[in-house]
Amino acid sequence: MFVISYRKVFLIIATILMLGSIAIVAFVGLRPGIDFTGGSLMQVSYTENLPVKTEVEAKVAEQSLGSFTVRETKDDIGQDGYLVRTKSLTEPERKSLETTLTSFGTGAEITRFTSIGPVIGQELKDKSVWAVTGVMLIIVLYVAFAFAGIGKPVGSFAYGFITILVLIHDVLVPMAVISILGVVAGVEVDVLFVMAILAVLGYSVNDTIVIFDRVRENLIQNRKEKKIKTNIAGVVHDEVTYTLTKPFDEIVGEAVHSTMSRSINTSFTTLLTLIALYFIGGSVTQTFALVLIVGVLAGTYSSICIASPLLIAYAKWKEGKKVSS
Amino acid sequence: MKNESQNTSSSTDNFLRLFKAVAILGVIVWLGFFVYGNATNPDSNSPFKLGLDLAGGAQLVYEADISKIDPAEIPALMNVLRNVIEERINVFGVSEPVVYLESSSFVSDKRSERLVVELPGVTNIADAVAEIGRTPLLEFKLIDRAAAAAQEQVLALQASATGTGAQISNVQVNGELVDTMNPYTDTGLTGRYLESARLEFTNGQGGQLSNEPVVSITFNKEGSDLFAEITRSNVGEQLAIFLDGEMLSAPRINEAITGGTAVISGGFNPQEARALAQNLSFGALPVPIELVSTQTIGATLGQEVLDKGIKAAALGFGLVLIFMVFWYRLPGLIATIALLAYVVIIMALFQFIPVVLTAAGLAGFVLSLGMAVDANVLVFERFKEEIRLGKDSRQAINTGFSRAWGAIRDGNITSLLSAIILFWFGTSVVKGFALVFGIGILVSMFSALVISRMLLLSLPSFTKEKNKVLNFLLGSGFQK
Repeated sequence: MFVISYRKVFLIIATILMLGSIAIVAFVGLRPGIDFTGGSLMQVSYTENLPVKTEVEAKVAEQSLGSFTVRETKDDIGQDGYLVRTKSLTEPERKSLETTLTSFGTGAEITRFTSIGPVIGQELKDKSVWAVTGVMLIIVLYVAFAFAGIGKPVGSFAYGFITILVLIHDVLVPMAVISILGVVAGVEVDVLFVMAILAVLGYSVNDTIVIFDRVRENLIQNRKEKKIKTNIAGVVHDEVTYTLTKPFDEIVGEAVHSTMSRSINTSFTTLLTLIALYFIGGSVTQTFALVLIVGVLAGTYSSICIASPLLIAYAKWKEGKKVSS
Repeated sequence: MKNESQNTSSSTDNFLRLFKAVAILGVIVWLGFFVYGNATNPDSNSPFKLGLDLAGGAQLVYEADISKIDPAEIPALMNVLRNVIEERINVFGVSEPVVYLESSSFVSDKRSERLVVELPGVTNIADAVAEIGRTPLLEFKLIDRAAAAAQEQVLALQASATGTGAQISNVQVNGELVDTMNPYTDTGLTGRYLESARLEFTNGQGGQLSNEPVVSITFNKEGSDLFAEITRSNVGEQLAIFLDGEMLSAPRINEAITGGTAVISGGFNPQEARALAQNLSFGALPVPIELVSTQTIGATLGQEVLDKGIKAAALGFGLVLIFMVFWYRLPGLIATIALLAYVVIIMALFQFIPVVLTAAGLAGFVLSLGMAVDANVLVFERFKEEIRLGKDSRQAINTGFSRAWGAIRDGNITSLLSAIILFWFGTSVVKGFALVFGIGILVSMFSALVISRMLLLSLPSFTKEKNKVLNFLLGSGFQK
């Protein structure tokens, strides 16, 4: 099984990818959108005579709304226009900005306006962190619970923690991609991004669990039961010990092999729909689709090439510790 | 799961399996027509509900200032607030406005209560913001008798001058220029000083009409003092009561009123009087509110986002179906039917729960289309393995389902738990997504475990060696 024989290579690649992603997220960072920072976003579209950007900037500056950015954009109908981001606007400020922006060009229309107070932004940030942490916690507990009693050579919590490690990998990679796109293309992070990340979590854990489930099944099939009767304080107990008839890494390798086509096929169908969403879906959900595309790719790779090698590495490390002590 | 040994191939048994399969197909087709009818019929009782970002419209989020309110009273007051705002919104005649309350979750340091107002189809929010922020303004004004008399004369003159082109200007009373149109002087006493207001009926004494609905108001300490002061120094004058700039009544002050109560009568009907009493007693609103977030989306833009989402869903779904048939052949075709059933059931649930569809929800649905095949794929892969081991197809199907069950269960339960957490934590946008995601998980399990299984079992039994054609149809991927 290539996954098992080349497991060191895979783990090294994964470590580099993970550290790289952490570095990118930490030093480049995500660009928070107004959902998190609070602020206003006004999108104006023109049917004809698109005004020049500098002209728009000059006019917006006259409003003295504090710092602002103007970005060129195309709305979903295909009209050109601008996206003006400012601090959270009061109602009179909104009205005057609207008047300013619709005073140029032809057929100007405010197609979208969002204003979010700073309190709501902060709250959303807190909520997002809690939701992601909560989901991860639930997953580790469930995996530990579902795999309880799996016993030798690796305990059920190890499955849970490996699942979490893999999840962190799957979340970091799309975050790094979006961080880079934030610098290159000005992509901002909004509520939908958090949902996409949570969906990646759900997808990735599913992928990993399917493989672990197969490991569990193969372990049960490839073990010998040995019952020893022990007499403790006059009561006879049946103590059951299991010995594996195959090496652990072979069992894991077979499990990966037999679930591989399922992993790839499910990822493929999911990617098909996501790519359709990315290319022909609305602009609002484009980043969402992209995060998931990257996340699903990372998830498939990690469940095959990281989760199982880690399981074996952990088993070997535990064995080594037992021998040395 | 059914036992593998229960594999009698008698003709009645086969007929029963086929009958079940046809029956379930019939139900799906019927449901499909039903959903289609609901979606296209404009008078339908349960059409798809579109969120603001798809239908276009405005969303206003107000934060209530609860800092001075006893926490125990908050829920009741927030409900009153919602009712008041709802009434104000109804003035607009917007179709299906939605007003709901939202509390910050326990994760935030500060408890906050919000009121969300959704106005479908409204993009000019200026009027809405003004109307919602409106406080019914109650004012008490003294009438300047000289000015009032002058005004009466001026009005009479104006009436007689109508049509002659004559104009009246510079009206002077006692040598002083007066604003003829405003013979009222502010007293500084307003609705701000109210403690409570309630509906009462007059009992017919003192020449009043009996049983006329009036609003009895009680001032707070400050207001009582002010009221006493005004009445004391203006005995014999008229004190006019204004609501929203309109004079309701102008009773004569007979003596100083020190009790801090007054009665507003203005020819109300009981409903009007009750509404006024309610509005006044909340000092306009039970809790002060502040606009913290607004969102407007043009209707054409929303429609476009919806159209694009539907196109993406259709294309993605089509590609998935083609892949399934190409790769898994006959079982793939069956999975296709199960997937169609999945879509129909989901849509029926969207209509009946109802789930408000947003751009995020639509994205979640598109995602779920790709993931819904997972359970089928798991089963088919297991099924192939069993066939390879030489089992006959029916045994292989049953074993495939029972072996795949563990993985399907564990994977879906974790996803479902994630959806529940999302739903629990989320704001309304996140909730919509979580609901779509959660429903998707449950329905996809049903479609794979019940529908696919029933259809697969209706196929005739065979083994690997016996039937080449079936063997091909039940194979997969690039193999022949």
